[in-house]
Amino acid sequence: MEHVLEKTTMNTFQKTLNALCITPLGFFALVLLLLLPVIPPFNQEYLIRWMVVGLFMAAQAVAFDFTGGYINIVNFGFAAFVGLGAYTSGILCAKLGLSPWIGMFIGIIPAGLVGFLTGILTLRLRGIFAAVMAWFISLAIWGLAIKLVFLTEGPLGLNCPTLLETSSNLPYFYIIFAMFIITYVILKRVVRSNMGLAFTAIGQNMDAARTSGINPVRYRIINFTLSCAFAGWLGGFYAHYYGILMPEIMHTTKTVEVLVIVYLGGRASLWGGAAIAIPFVVAMELVRSEFSNYPGLHFIFYGLFLILIMIYYPGGFAHLYETLTDRFRKL
Amino acid sequence: MAMTSSQGLIKIVTRKLKSPPVITITLSIIAAVLASIDSGFYVIVNTIVTGGMWALVAMGLALVFGVMNITSFVHGEFFMIGGLTAYFVFTPFSDYLMDSPNPVVAFFIPILVMLIAAVAGVVVGILSELVIFRPLRKRTSDQWVMNSFVITLGLSVLIVNGTQFIFGTDFRGIVGYWPYPTLSFFNVNISFDRVMVFILAMLILGVFWWFMSASKLGRAIRAVSQDETGARMVGININGIQTLTMALSAALAALAGACLLFMYPAYPTVGMGPLFNSWFIVILAGMGNVGGAAICAFIVALLQVLTTVYFGEGWEFTIPAAVIILVLIIKPSGIFGSSVRGILDQ
Repeated sequence: MEHVLEKTTMNTFQKTLNALCITPLGFFALVLLLLLPVIPPFNQEYLIRWMVVGLFMAAQAVAFDFTGGYINIVNFGFAAFVGLGAYTSGILCAKLGLSPWIGMFIGIIPAGLVGFLTGILTLRLRGIFAAVMAWFISLAIWGLAIKLVFLTEGPLGLNCPTLLETSSNLPYFYIIFAMFIITYVILKRVVRSNMGLAFTAIGQNMDAARTSGINPVRYRIINFTLSCAFAGWLGGFYAHYYGILMPEIMHTTKTVEVLVIVYLGGRASLWGGAAIAIPFVVAMELVRSEFSNYPGLHFIFYGLFLILIMIYYPGGFAHLYETLTDRFRKL
Repeated sequence: MAMTSSQGLIKIVTRKLKSPPVITITLSIIAAVLASIDSGFYVIVNTIVTGGMWALVAMGLALVFGVMNITSFVHGEFFMIGGLTAYFVFTPFSDYLMDSPNPVVAFFIPILVMLIAAVAGVVVGILSELVIFRPLRKRTSDQWVMNSFVITLGLSVLIVNGTQFIFGTDFRGIVGYWPYPTLSFFNVNISFDRVMVFILAMLILGVFWWFMSASKLGRAIRAVSQDETGARMVGININGIQTLTMALSAALAALAGACLLFMYPAYPTVGMGPLFNSWFIVILAGMGNVGGAAICAFIVALLQVLTTVYFGEGWEFTIPAAVIILVLIIKPSGIFGSSVRGILDQ
């Protein structure tokens, strides 16, 4: 909050950073990340691919944390909203020949709409209800993706046109980087606005929020819909990056992956999950390739980390960073 | 006076008849009868047999939610642990019986195996309470429901992949527990195992019912679920009750996993199906309503049998999920209503 107070003394660069909700250190990290895929030891295709996955997870983590961290509702059907966007875009492009660039944005509509309907249905109840119902809805959508073979090709996989003709991962890295930044900046700006204040109030104590004249249901629905819409948009990237879509992307384990990253990164920070995403994904990919005869070994780490962080350090990486910088300032 | 009291009685009766449980149960029975006229009596038989098992799994889930406010995601893994234990205990016995057949032993061994599986469930339940839920409870108060939900998720991922790491992804199943021929009711062939398992399920249900309503411990459990502070005031050991509840719930799930080993071979992710089912049941009944869960188990079983009959394989999660979502639009607190504090008040 300090940098907001000092607004009058800031120069143009600081003002831009402030408008983008990025700290100087964050800016430095982002520039480094931007250059990383062209610096020699990191410019190999498989590493760039992992980084693309990492950035995709980071963007998802931001959208997930927007709901999970602020209004304290774990969207347990998150993967299905990603999948909904992916399949909408994939089907439109594969069957009707639409451009993937347009399809990606059309994917927002069904994801946002289903999110909105789920919200209307469940968000007037206690949070856990919304979590479980979103899960049911994700199961239903997942089942549809398997069974509606004439549309989705079922478990065989739907071939979608890719965004670009190239087989190189580098352009995709910059596309997902841009998408990640857009997701982060928009959601962070919402969080910083008055509406974000209402979200935090609702997440911390709903009754107190209601007494202060906040309509919790309305804000919760806005929040949930926005998060789901971004999930749908990111799903579009997934579809046109891999070029093949299987119902698996809606499976609960995909939600778990995002959830673990968000909790490790620190809830209600937006940037924490994003910061942890790339190192975490790369580490997990290393475990996976190193112990390839034990499939699922990396998931043991997912479970273990989640349990440990929840019990012993619920603040996650964002909290760690803040305590460390506080201590540093005091020195 | 007599007039008014009889009118009052009629009013009460009609109100009861209009209540959601009665309407749903009547509709389900009508649907079951119509479906069995249309496509054979096996619809009802299948519903009753599978419903009995889902009742066991779902009751454990409802219990944990009612008493500890844990929205458990790890319940399916208790089911899997039960199945796995039963497999490893039963196979040596059945090999031994192959060499030296003995009808009496052959009849009682499966029951012993199921009991051992239940004990395994108790152990896992107590462990997870002591190692995971209690430390978390010490550190979380405000957002316990959501946090405990997420931690059960972590535990589930850990158990599934731990099992996969240790035992691999092989299907460990058996053909049947009892080496008896298939029985036949009303032209419906039904294996002896299914009949036995159903009888066992009803037996356990009865014992459980007695335990919850009559025994001192069961009453203490219900007291904690109704009012934790009040229960503490009258001297109930909350920690003990919570451990007991977790153990009981895990034991019920493990028992069901052992009983259904011939239908659901044990492999790491086998718990997913039972977990979905029991969640459908618990949500439909009203979260935390243990008695309602037992009845709704049959309704969900019917829903799934009807789905497989009329839509084919592969729809058994999608269509029940859709139906349940529709029911919840009309009645969000579930058919039987939820007595757990604070479900709808936020």
